[in-house]
Amino acid sequence: MDFHPDPELEAFREEVRTFLREKLPADLAHLSIGMFSPGEAIRRWQKILHDHGWAAPSWGKQHGGTGWSVEQKLIFDEECVVAGAPTQDGFGQNLLGPVLNEFATPEQWQAHVPPTLRGERLWCQGFSEPGSGSDLASLRTRAERRGGNYVVNGQKIWTSYAHRADWIFLLVRTDPEAKKQAGISFLLADMKTPGITVRPIISIDGHHHLNEVFFDEVEVPAGNLIGAEGMGWGITKFLLNNEHATTADLPNLKMLLRKMKELAIERRIGTTRLIDRSEVALQIAAFDTELRAMAMMVSRTAAMHGDQGHFAHAFGSMLKIRATDLQQRMSVFVVELLGDGGAAAAPAPGAEYSAEMFFRRAATIYGGSSEVQRGIVAKLMFGL
Amino acid sequence: MDFALNDEQQMLSDSVARFVQSEYGFEARTRLVVAGEGGSPANWRTFAENGWLAAAFPDEFGGFGGGAIENAVIAEQFGRGLVIESWLGCAVLAAQTLAASGDAASKAEWLPSLADGSRRLALAWSEPESRGVPHIVGTRATGQAGGYRLSGRKTLVLGGCGADALLVSARSEGAIGDRAGIGLFLVEAGAAGLSVLPAPLHDGSLAATVILNDAPARMVAGDGLAALEHGIAHAMLALSAELVGAMGQSIEITADYVRTRKQFGVTIGSFQSLQHRLADMAAEMELARSMLFAALAAFENDDAATRRVAIAGAKAFVTEAARNVCGQGIQLHGGIGMTDECAIGHYFKRAIVADALFGTRSVHAAACAEALAADLDTQGGAEGVSGKEEREFA
Repeated sequence: MDFHPDPELEAFREEVRTFLREKLPADLAHLSIGMFSPGEAIRRWQKILHDHGWAAPSWGKQHGGTGWSVEQKLIFDEECVVAGAPTQDGFGQNLLGPVLNEFATPEQWQAHVPPTLRGERLWCQGFSEPGSGSDLASLRTRAERRGGNYVVNGQKIWTSYAHRADWIFLLVRTDPEAKKQAGISFLLADMKTPGITVRPIISIDGHHHLNEVFFDEVEVPAGNLIGAEGMGWGITKFLLNNEHATTADLPNLKMLLRKMKELAIERRIGTTRLIDRSEVALQIAAFDTELRAMAMMVSRTAAMHGDQGHFAHAFGSMLKIRATDLQQRMSVFVVELLGDGGAAAAPAPGAEYSAEMFFRRAATIYGGSSEVQRGIVAKLMFGL
Repeated sequence: MDFALNDEQQMLSDSVARFVQSEYGFEARTRLVVAGEGGSPANWRTFAENGWLAAAFPDEFGGFGGGAIENAVIAEQFGRGLVIESWLGCAVLAAQTLAASGDAASKAEWLPSLADGSRRLALAWSEPESRGVPHIVGTRATGQAGGYRLSGRKTLVLGGCGADALLVSARSEGAIGDRAGIGLFLVEAGAAGLSVLPAPLHDGSLAATVILNDAPARMVAGDGLAALEHGIAHAMLALSAELVGAMGQSIEITADYVRTRKQFGVTIGSFQSLQHRLADMAAEMELARSMLFAALAAFENDDAATRRVAIAGAKAFVTEAARNVCGQGIQLHGGIGMTDECAIGHYFKRAIVADALFGTRSVHAAACAEALAADLDTQGGAEGVSGKEEREFA
């Protein structure tokens, strides 16, 4: 055990800052609402990162990534948030990307990864269905092999950003006879394929992040099957394991803390600044402390990558439980600091803080709800 | 950063774990508690022989050149066994305060014999009104020909009973809360005017209440507050590590129990409400361990002000986690968890005692809040917090 920081990290931080100062266009900064930035901002920013050689900050060099250490990646994220840079496409970067790096054929990799890294292809994730939420393996969207195609029929729901995605990766049932998990396969489909219909779902933050996606006799080339038929569930478990360090959303937690501090200095109760009220200072300091612990827990999780042991898996679930809970408590407290403004649906910026808070209610539901995560921890850690 | 134990740390951890397993079963521990002497001399010899008393001492004084991390490794295993010997008070708190005092003669005189276990030193710093704040000192030091005389009352002196000498914080000038004028003094056991009264704690360990009535003393440091704060920081880190171990063990004990206890014809571990409670306990413990790591990192890397906040925050956070997790351990045991002969309740007792040591949660939370407010003031308002662009957004 050794907690000395890498002496080269500060130089790296400076390098990131310089890059952001020089390359981040002013009109791209400070656009993030909810999970991701607007699609066009993501595309332009991804192209800039790509041209700089930083297209995939969390991938190894052998896959076209930066090969950064965990600490470097965290510094990169942190500086990007401070500078107000757009997000990257988390679906391509953190979920599908590692899957393609692990399971795709060289031809498949070549067809999908380079355009993704250039910002020319945004992805969405077609997992949940109306009847299959936590019980994902009960999914019913059917893919039938006909000649050189799979013909897909069914419905996906809660599909974030499907309305602006170029492609979707989805789970389909290729063998209705096989037991639950065994009949599931992993497909990639172009969202422009005839028969795909996207319908918006407006969420409680008033924004359009979510969609229903309908598949009606959609023909997907058989070459878009990742892995073998029936391997979809194994790939999904691999993918979800990669998701945990990301769902903690540390940059967002740090942003929430900064907003709190800002409001506590600027807003007053009578003539007293909020920060000079003990109940406010105590609460912000407690979040500050908990966030320090959370940041270390994220580092510990990230350091476990590659280790597919039970403990690493359970640890990811524990991180998700605690980090999403913290996101919710912190975003609620930001709204509390707005005072009367916390009730108002307009104008910005207060209303945007509230929208962010409403959006965060999804954090304990998506990517495996907190209840599902607790079940995983109990099973893996205690054999219950 | 590297989160895995290196070879030496792993050996250290394993050796302490073996000791706890073989010598500190719940029944053996209960016998030590009932004897009421704050542990056994034989165990102390084992600590000395294995180098656990001096893991964080410099080599020149018979130590092993480690630091707070090595102490944390030992403390975690001690926490698993609820070890009652005053390793925390003597080998960490008093020893690290003395080591930081800068008095070469006293260090040469004391540290080697603390390392080999032949003598014990306890630190008497807390007073009824200090509440975890080391510079709240009412005990008075008066210069006399040939030395000093101390008068005052010290509470929660860990390892005070049976110590060969006490290292005492006392004020030679100023008012009770002033940061200046606080010295460190050595008072030999048996000195005239010194009373060391046993103070049994809830967790079965033994502290002392110390009454000084014009007791003769030797000055170790005229300005001793920095050394005192350093020693207490070391102790808060070790205590936090101990609580991480205590939480880990109480979770294991509880998991074992729910796997075997049957109600309604099934093991109670088959109930989802209990499964989820255990999962939450595990998550809380791992977040507390992360907090400990963050505090250890700050202790090694950061400036004094940042360290102080990081360690105070960690102490508050980990203690609160321990009270929650160990309290839930009792809950999941049901009625049997309330009995004195069941181990689980004793973990909760240790968590309660730990909160009172070195300042309670609310005291440290308030210190963090004050530091935060002061920090925001010196940064000159919101621009220092988040930069200009973000203000426009806000």
